[in-house]
Amino acid sequence: MGERRRSLLVGVVLIGPALLLLLLVFLWPMASYLWLSFHAQNLFTDLQPVAVGMLNWRRLVLDARFWQDAAQTLRFALVSVSLELGLGLAMALLLNQRWRGRGLVRSLTLLPWALPTTVMALGWRWIFNDPSGPINGVIAGLTGSTVPFLASPSLAWLAVVFADVWKTTPFVALLLLAGLQMIPADLYEALALEGGNARQALLRITLPLLRPYLLLVLLFRLAQALGVFDLIVVLTGGGPASSTESVAGYAYLNAMRFLDFGYSATVMIGMFGVLLLLGGVLLLVLRRPVRA
Amino acid sequence: MIVGRARARPRALALAIVLAGILALLALPVAWARPPLTITVLMPAPFAEATADTVAAFNRDHRRLRIAVARGPFETEAVSDLAISSLLLGDSPYDLLMMDVTWTAKYAAAGWLLPLDDWLDGDPLAGVVAGAREGNRLAGQLWRLPMLASMGLLYWRTDLMAAPPRTPAELVDRSKELQQQGLVRWGYVWQGRQYEGLSCVFLEVLRGFGGQWGGTAASGIGLDSTQATAAASWLRQLVETGVTPASVADFAEPESLQAFASGEAAFMRNWPYAWKELQKPGSAVAGKVAITTMVAEPGQSPAATQGSWGLSVLRGSAHPAEAVAVLQALTGEDSQRRLARDWGYTPTLASLFDDPELRAALPLLPALRQALEVAALRPITPVYAQLSDILQRQLSAAITGGTAPQAAMDRAGRGSRAVLDASGVEAV
Repeated sequence: MGERRRSLLVGVVLIGPALLLLLLVFLWPMASYLWLSFHAQNLFTDLQPVAVGMLNWRRLVLDARFWQDAAQTLRFALVSVSLELGLGLAMALLLNQRWRGRGLVRSLTLLPWALPTTVMALGWRWIFNDPSGPINGVIAGLTGSTVPFLASPSLAWLAVVFADVWKTTPFVALLLLAGLQMIPADLYEALALEGGNARQALLRITLPLLRPYLLLVLLFRLAQALGVFDLIVVLTGGGPASSTESVAGYAYLNAMRFLDFGYSATVMIGMFGVLLLLGGVLLLVLRRPVRA
Repeated sequence: MIVGRARARPRALALAIVLAGILALLALPVAWARPPLTITVLMPAPFAEATADTVAAFNRDHRRLRIAVARGPFETEAVSDLAISSLLLGDSPYDLLMMDVTWTAKYAAAGWLLPLDDWLDGDPLAGVVAGAREGNRLAGQLWRLPMLASMGLLYWRTDLMAAPPRTPAELVDRSKELQQQGLVRWGYVWQGRQYEGLSCVFLEVLRGFGGQWGGTAASGIGLDSTQATAAASWLRQLVETGVTPASVADFAEPESLQAFASGEAAFMRNWPYAWKELQKPGSAVAGKVAITTMVAEPGQSPAATQGSWGLSVLRGSAHPAEAVAVLQALTGEDSQRRLARDWGYTPTLASLFDDPELRAALPLLPALRQALEVAALRPITPVYAQLSDILQRQLSAAITGGTAPQAAMDRAGRGSRAVLDASGVEAV
């Protein structure tokens, strides 16, 4: 009994600092934002918080722009993260095989991830440029006309997805590669001895054992993608016709441009609620125990 | 051993005392000569460069006062973000802030600016040209002194026509003609990206069609009007008929400048800064460009959106008197003359427009003054950022064909009314 209590005490002491840090940098800001969402703090309250009850939340529910942005942000996150997972998995599988020059390719694939987002967004802005960008150079050579990628509401969001996939697929590949290397080789040998083929190896061994890593990457990337901001600010500025505006962009507008901090907090907490819901569902779906 | 050490100690002590005495003597003059007072000004990077000479001259002439310029980002709104971040934290490191004309009402309402009337004698705006006078005084107080003016201009190609078009219809006809003759790929390039520049473009066209942006909330601040619909329809038709490229919906100033400088377009809407860029070696149209004011319907006056920059003193400044002195130096005649002569910026002081030296250095000056005389101000209200955001959003939808111009303007009017009703601001 004394032994157990002592080990419990050691455990608490050991995770204490991490817990405190988490409380300080995560829970406290969240709590103060939640508090702020029940207050008006804007130019007409002299930038002081004034309690207004549910006013901000009523406004949020009725705010078509918030829901449009939330839908756009979700669409962006789901499409880009699915693509990143698929491509990242393929890349990881490839990089996990033994072949000549693998080390070099492994380090090269990380390059996009190492670039600052704003810099690479500027680069993509130029690549997508109509008519002077290289993509339109090729298209013009083939068809004689150009495509206004960033000036068309139906195409601009795809351009944003494309740039995001380009940048973050290496990150996904890297994490999945780490996962692949944790899978013991004798499992594959045993399967081979029993006459299993490559497809079975992938479906029966690799993917099930990779699941915790996939889940980790998925949560990581979804959380990042749902908060997308800098990429969009530089690439499209939220336009055209607000077709690429994200929730984070809308919250930023409300806070920094409109000086409406109460509503900005409501927008952020509202989106956090959506994220929480989504994360919960994902955990339920993906955290089933691995079948023997 | 022990005795020897005891003897060494007083000797070391004596040495230390002498050294300390010498140091103290050396430090005395430094203590007497107090360091000069430093006044910090936050400016967008290009202006930090352009005012360097004025700042150096000021620092040379003043022993007790120094100007330190903090270089802000290049992009206008990013400068505001930086300033606001520091102001929200309470203790701003800046004494003066270089301000866009559209920020003044917001910053004043937030209580961040020092009213200048108590610190300046007479009418500080007396010498300022009419077009740059507005947007500085609000609610009976002066918050900002203008430093340089900027207006929307119509750039046209002198090698393709003898005189610029004066009406929207003329501009379209001329464009189509030149396009059909294969002389240019595009007729007219402007700023159609969903950002502040689009509001500036629209205000000029709206005025040209006889409309107004501003007024009471009940009127939808002029946006749910036939004139606003006509203006938005005209912009949409430019894209639809191919006079303007579809990619204009992603054009800010640099993209329109690029298209025009490459010789691909007959007309461009841009600010005065573009002139110098067009004369540079890489430009295909150097020496073939002239400026005029925006087109307007027959019987309507043309309009140029006013985009002036000025200086304000932040209320948190610990040295307001010195900050005001710096403000006067930077907005004064010498400073404005340098900005115009060496950098091509448009002055705001009337006297400089008749200055023979400047007229020789800046042949554009009469045309710039003409544009300043028809300067149109964007609504002056603390909620301007919201109003402009609503307008940009709807205009972008109209230009890209997602929403019919009339529906877009109705929505813009409704949205503006909602913002004004919620804020309690009655008229703008």
